Amino acid sequence: MKRALKIAGYTWAVACIVVVLATFVGNNYFSAKLASSTGITISPWFSGGEIVGSIDHATYKTVIHRPVFDGLIGERKEGFIQIEWQPVTALPLVIEDGIDFTGDGKEDFAFRLDTAAGRGTLTPRNPSVIAIQTLVKVNQGWVARIQLRKVS
Amino acid sequence: MMKEHPPHAKTIEVRQSPGKSFLFALPMMLLTLMMMSGGKIPADPQRLFVFTVTYLFFNLLFFLMIHTGKTDRYRATAFITYAILFIVSFISHMFEARGSMSLSQEKILLCEVPFCHLVIPMTLIPAAFTKTIIFPGTITGGYASIASMFTIWIGASLSLGRGWCSWGCFFGGLDDAFSRILKKPVFRNINPRWTYLPWAVLLAVVLSAAAFLSPTYCTWLCPFKTVTEFEAVTSFKILVQTILFASLFIALVIVLPLLTKRRTQCSLFCPFGAMQGLTNRINAFDVRIDPDRCINCKRCVTACPTLSVTEESVRAGCPLISCMKCGTCMDVCPSGAVAFHVRGTPVAGNRNIKRMLFLYAAFLFLAIFSGGTIQDGLSRIIRLITTGSMI
Ligand code: SF4
Ligand code: SF4
Repeated sequence: MKRALKIAGYTWAVACIVVVLATFVGNNYFSAKLASSTGITISPWFSGGEIVGSIDHATYKTVIHRPVFDGLIGERKEGFIQIEWQPVTALPLVIEDGIDFTGDGKEDFAFRLDTAAGRGTLTPRNPSVIAIQTLVKVNQGWVARIQLRKVS
Repeated sequence: MMKEHPPHAKTIEVRQSPGKSFLFALPMMLLTLMMMSGGKIPADPQRLFVFTVTYLFFNLLFFLMIHTGKTDRYRATAFITYAILFIVSFISHMFEARGSMSLSQEKILLCEVPFCHLVIPMTLIPAAFTKTIIFPGTITGGYASIASMFTIWIGASLSLGRGWCSWGCFFGGLDDAFSRILKKPVFRNINPRWTYLPWAVLLAVVLSAAAFLSPTYCTWLCPFKTVTEFEAVTSFKILVQTILFASLFIALVIVLPLLTKRRTQCSLFCPFGAMQGLTNRINAFDVRIDPDRCINCKRCVTACPTLSVTEESVRAGCPLISCMKCGTCMDVCPSGAVAFHVRGTPVAGNRNIKRMLFLYAAFLFLAIFSGGTIQDGLSRIIRLITTGSMI
């Protein structure tokens, strides 16, 4: 028994050296496998959530993400919706958009973006739309996050 | 009471002649050459110079480890160099990519923030429940992707356990360095109850991250943001966060290690380190104290930079779960009672083989993981000297 344990111990120790080499030699392979087998993605609280629609304005487009209320279990009361305007090179000085994120055919809020001044104005038309949380220029265009609150 | 001991018992046993040391170091030379070069020796003279310096640096240290039988001083030289050059390399990259160390809203919204292992404990519960990672980084591809860091963490946990904190972590070398500056500690006694603090921090950040779906330690506490990247101060909240993490850096990474000669950030605060202690249990290597050799001089208790050796643990024959396998205790032990050990094997006997197996796993990890960063850091310094700019 003692001998078997000893052999197992030394084998395990040698395997550790192999694990070190495999960790680095196979890093790309293992990383890709880990990502695909777990199906893990970035939390919508950071990625902005999946894109669910877009409005084509001929030279530029408005990209609409799904409203994010995701909690650890179930949904939260507070959330946001991310809207993007791109590409940056084709954006007019002033953009005015009406966004219907509930899909009921009615505008939930209107957004006016002054790209020159970097200023946004939100006009809520739905009580769950609260305020502008973030408005940032990124390399492809502008990104806004609008704070939402569930109303029962 | 202190027992008598044979002089230089330990060193005689693990010290090797230059010829034998060279033979033992030869596989390391070949493996590091293969891994650090990726099979291609750089053609560009400056890159070749930096590669050669890095390669010789590591292999000289490894040779000396075998030849002298001492572990910690050579490990620390590599580990601290890594931490310093990691900062040089990281900051240069940040300036190159975005012109400053501060993290813009843009990078956060585009999910382009480099991922670091310290986030891992906070991601586990949200990942289990929502199949998502609560961090604005990339899953694969790009600089420091999440999947690649997880792979390295799994590899480190399986091969080294908490040895990661003395052989892998690119931050650990900072408090390690400051804990070595003074010859004697100004404050000797740290109440052992403080060693529960990292567990409390771990619990707090894991639960708060799950509740808020946000990496709370990174946002509010991580001291290492001071020397890597931090959010641009655009609100009062971010100002408070900045004051908090910068103060923690000064206190835990500089001042306290200096005054206590202990790695205070790593042993008294870091939540990742606490969690990593658990992986010491699923690892082939540990540190053991041979009761037949121990003369109860308590030098290991005084010297352990992580407070992992107590009088009880000496009696029990093994350090606490927080042991980072740094080798300090075995280097100071006058009777050779403390040694690296392979689980399943008897504590006494074959000490050199056990030490060599651990050193091969640990040093190889350090050399491969840090090799590229050290080369980049050195290149940046050469560029600074020759052109006046690191980028
Ligand atoms: S305790 Fe934390 S900071 Fe220290 S070496 Fe370990 S992971 Fe790094
Ligand atoms: S017990 Fe020894 S090897 Fe472990 S952390 Fe303390 S000094 Fe380092």
